[in-house]
Amino acid sequence: MRRHISTRRTILLAAALGLAAAGCSSSSSSTASGTGSTPASSSSGSASAGTVSTSSCGSKPGVAATGTPIPLGAIATNQPGTSFTDIPNMAKAYFDCVNANGGINGHPIKLYIETEQTNPAQIAADAKQLVQTDKVVGIVGNTSIIECSVDSSYWQKLGFYIIDSGIAPECYSTPNSAAVNMGPRYSSDGAVQYALAQHVSKVVFDQANVPGTGYIAAGPAALAKAANTPIVQLTENVPITDASSVAIKEVNDAGPNGAVILNFTPPQALVILQAATKLGLENRVKLWGCSTPCNTDFLAQSLGSKWNGKLFVNAELTPPDGTNTTAMNLYKAILKKYGSSVQGGIGSFSQMGFTEAEIAVHALQSISGPYTVQSVNAAFKAVKDFNTGMLCQLWTYGNYPLHIPNNADYTVTANNGKMTTAQGCTPISAADPQIAQYRSAAGTAANAP
Amino acid sequence: MPPWVNFEPFIVSGLALGGVYALSGVGLVVLYRATGVLYLAFGAVGALGALIAWSLTTRAGAPGWVGWLACVAVAGAVTLGYGLLFGPALAKRDPLIKAVATIGLTLILYGVMDLLWTASGGQARSLTLPTDNGGFTVAQIQVTWTQVIALAAGVVLTAATGAFLRFTKLGTAMRAMANDRDITATLGVPVRRVEAAAWLGCGVLGGIAGLLLADLVALDATTLTFLVISSLAAVLIARLRSITVTFVAAIVIGLLHDLLTPIVSLTSYRDMTPFVIAAIGLLVLSRHQVMTQSREEA
Repeated sequence: MRRHISTRRTILLAAALGLAAAGCSSSSSSTASGTGSTPASSSSGSASAGTVSTSSCGSKPGVAATGTPIPLGAIATNQPGTSFTDIPNMAKAYFDCVNANGGINGHPIKLYIETEQTNPAQIAADAKQLVQTDKVVGIVGNTSIIECSVDSSYWQKLGFYIIDSGIAPECYSTPNSAAVNMGPRYSSDGAVQYALAQHVSKVVFDQANVPGTGYIAAGPAALAKAANTPIVQLTENVPITDASSVAIKEVNDAGPNGAVILNFTPPQALVILQAATKLGLENRVKLWGCSTPCNTDFLAQSLGSKWNGKLFVNAELTPPDGTNTTAMNLYKAILKKYGSSVQGGIGSFSQMGFTEAEIAVHALQSISGPYTVQSVNAAFKAVKDFNTGMLCQLWTYGNYPLHIPNNADYTVTANNGKMTTAQGCTPISAADPQIAQYRSAAGTAANAP
Repeated sequence: MPPWVNFEPFIVSGLALGGVYALSGVGLVVLYRATGVLYLAFGAVGALGALIAWSLTTRAGAPGWVGWLACVAVAGAVTLGYGLLFGPALAKRDPLIKAVATIGLTLILYGVMDLLWTASGGQARSLTLPTDNGGFTVAQIQVTWTQVIALAAGVVLTAATGAFLRFTKLGTAMRAMANDRDITATLGVPVRRVEAAAWLGCGVLGGIAGLLLADLVALDATTLTFLVISSLAAVLIARLRSITVTFVAAIVIGLLHDLLTPIVSLTSYRDMTPFVIAAIGLLVLSRHQVMTQSREEA
């Protein structure tokens, strides 16, 4: 009997240790809100899908580049529950297309992709590996939860000007990083701005409880304050296991004329919205909103027609469905021919990779001498008013203390299982002080609200 | 403190959450009482089964019932396979080692799920049951039949497994084997077969729980795999012994968790509820045990 009690105690201790460990750990499926999907665009001309082939991605169609490779690098988060590898993989697909069609003045581009698991030491080592071992001359396609925070000063010290998809604040607030996406803060701004434009009486802004929530929340708070509308800020531990109570709380806080705005990864947002559906809460507020990650047809399909005209989602890149432009068709053609490693297929992640690669190629083509760290990064930095065909506005790097080159969005809405455009290109309000500061630095303040 | 009316919806959602914890918790205690193994892969096998059900129904176009059966079958098969392969080898090892070994299985299954049902590209999945389409309203909140089934499943499971372990020959053999495998074997009990039945039963429970939890919580490998951690609180309070106490503790934890939601000063800390209650429960139970032992010694 004594042995039995001892055995039971041991197993209880093991279980208690398990509980303690779980309490201390963070979820892997958390984070990442804002590196989302579709939207905005300045089209680069109309074209039918049949008229655009992958040969148009290079200057010498059908001629493979055989010169000395131009080494570029990328770092992406790849861990259980969170993977951004589609972005550099799509950039690589674009480069493969360029390489097969003349390259950059005969030089192929070689993209080294490092993956990380949100470990600062590993991320710092990845950066050093790219620079010291792989001898990369530029960084294109970085998409990581904390890479900008970890490596920002390293890149500045070495004179690298990164073209990336941003998540961490440093991706937007430093001189050496320019993103093609809006990231979680400005994407949330867009969703809140749309709700405020519908004259909601109150905003409830709920987001994942991960590092950087204060930075993200500051944007929507500033917009709500400028509109003299009360805002309630909430955070939820992820993965969410009590979606029903989360949805009830959001709806109760917002009230019948209020708006609930979510900033979560697609799986977590879906969990909340489905719980709201099951509880019959979708009509208990004036509208629901979401930052970019919710912009997927899958989410619209899962929610069904009950949500028609109820859910409004910020969209950072041009919606691929129904867009028939040269850039969009080239993107789809490259994805089909070279994008076998892009697991998510058509969607915002691969669009971001495409956009980053086309900006990089545009910059590299402007270099006449050798491809060095100095020449490549000077070319990146010099990109000005480039029409990517994937964004609402022309894209500029520039010599600024901060970079938010994508600061105008679309709003899409769930409609019978599809996301359809609810509002065209709209500049994000300069009530967010960061947006105001960027526009002031970029000299575009006069053109925006 | 918000008015009482604000708490009413959270009683409904709290009961549903408690039912979720109960489903996992009761399954854990059943296997522990039958084999002496704390099966921490309970959530992972359920998640694997649910993801396979999703693939069958949404990708292969199979009818819903095929997916549900596949979910239960896969969870049962994986658990049985693990039990047959590693059960005998681990039978005489320390319980801590047995539990840690199941963490190994958890991590392998988790890795496989992440590989096959990747989150790359922001992919999200959901599994809905037909019982989501019906229900009734309580405190302005719609209660679906799936939630009712989950709660009822917890009650039925608790009563049925309790009766099974107490009154059937196989159940008695399982309890005896969990206490002492060698002595049970010398009494002529076919330990391998009894053990296999226990593993299979636990796997089937894991599959049923996985199916319901995929609908009630989320079809997400991370969420379902580690949901078992919160359920461990109820298991700890029951000291791995009582299925009834596990069920009641799970319901109380779920209720308290959700009732903290409308209290502004506490809402951010509500996810600590299972762990705080487990800690308090263990402290109280330990004190009670010390006092009982002192009285016996006196």
